[in-house]
Amino acid sequence: MARLPSGQTLPGKLFVVEGIDGSGKSTQLDLLRKWLTSAGYCIAFSEWNSSPIVRATTKRGKKKQLLTPVTFSLIHAADFANRFEQQILPALKAGAIVLADRYVYTAYARDAARGVDPEFVRQVYAFAAIPTVALYFRVSLDESLKRIITGRPKLKWYEAGMDLGLSEDPLESYRLFQGRILREYDRMVDECNLQVIDAMLPIVDQQRIVRDTILPHLEGALRAEASPWRRTVSAEGLSGRYLDMTPATGE
Amino acid sequence: MTEVQFYGKGFPDIERDHLPGRLIVLEGPDGVGRSTQIALLREWLEAEGYAVASSGFRRSELARVGIAKAKEGHTMGALTMALFYAADFADRMQREIIPALRAGFVVLTDRYMYSLFARCIVRGVDPDWVRSVMGFALVPDAVLYLRTTISALLPRVLNSRGFDHWESGMDFLGYSDYYESYIEYQTRMLKVFDELGQEFGFEDVDATQDVHAVFTQLREAVRGVVKELRPGA
Repeated sequence: MARLPSGQTLPGKLFVVEGIDGSGKSTQLDLLRKWLTSAGYCIAFSEWNSSPIVRATTKRGKKKQLLTPVTFSLIHAADFANRFEQQILPALKAGAIVLADRYVYTAYARDAARGVDPEFVRQVYAFAAIPTVALYFRVSLDESLKRIITGRPKLKWYEAGMDLGLSEDPLESYRLFQGRILREYDRMVDECNLQVIDAMLPIVDQQRIVRDTILPHLEGALRAEASPWRRTVSAEGLSGRYLDMTPATGE
Repeated sequence: MTEVQFYGKGFPDIERDHLPGRLIVLEGPDGVGRSTQIALLREWLEAEGYAVASSGFRRSELARVGIAKAKEGHTMGALTMALFYAADFADRMQREIIPALRAGFVVLTDRYMYSLFARCIVRGVDPDWVRSVMGFALVPDAVLYLRTTISALLPRVLNSRGFDHWESGMDFLGYSDYYESYIEYQTRMLKVFDELGQEFGFEDVDATQDVHAVFTQLREAVRGVVKELRPGA
């Protein structure tokens, strides 16, 4: 069950992945999503900073370096609120599984690392549903940097935390900034009931732990037949060449 | 501002430094004539030798385009609206209002956090939550409230832009009819403004009078707030 802050339970399940850049959380969530989809579950997926109506403003703010710690915080909250109202909450009410790549804890960690009052950030996100399970992929700073720096063209201004004036060198600034975020995450483990996963383990091992952690919470989740036409196609000896072959996952 | 005070936590990166200017808010329902009065007041203040800056909802460099698009598509829920406007407001606060006050300007703002409160409250958003989100707002030197009635408002709205989707509460009231929805929405808004006025000490100005009578009354109120800024005063 997911829960609203009021204590009201929602029939859906909310699974969240968190961790610093390069922790491998998106890879793990993607594997989880495919596993759940093939098991026939109805999945809604929501990604940080992806609201169709707010994202362009965030992008503008970043590109023109308009954002202060407070407006950075609020614009990401607006993005989250839009996804929460339109994707996450309706899906949870309908009993579906919601997978979120980053959730409020990302804001708690990043905004605190930027010097915003932690109490203020928690108040701003006070409407957010409490996840069924929040997985925190914990990785060392050095390992995450190794994963991120290779094969990435250039660190962006806010991504590197250049707005904090920690260092003139983007790479050094990024390292210091990520270090702060990491400390914030570690501080949240108990407060926010984050399930820690050792993100230094091989991918396959991590995925096994993820599935074992999620499995006990799947009972009653809404299922949807992924390709309801499949039986007709085989029974009638058709090829189905005119059907859209990507399975409908309810997104 | 003689005493710099925020409604809540303020900004972490702005010291509560000396802000010698004056912050004056004009509040009132949609279509009551706030922008007309601000235009008149601004010119009068400048003629008197005061430096004036004005600000208003959806004028931030950051969020004005985004909010306009979201409103056009009628796609905003109440929480998104609150936070999108909060971002717009915080951006203007940090990049326009506070710097202008620091430089000793008179800042006239068309609406303030109270309008946002009212819009959220009528839409069923938790008032305590909205308050904590808006904790970065400075306590203004004066809030002048243009008080009016629905019957005085109606002809003004019909004469200008007609009924607007959001200003009629079409996003949540569930009427199919603009007129009915508008009446219901604005009636609720006026009631909430009354309550906010009590709590935050609005100074009422009777906006059912003609423009000149309203202006004269506003000018006297503004004069009282800015008089200490005059050299030798």
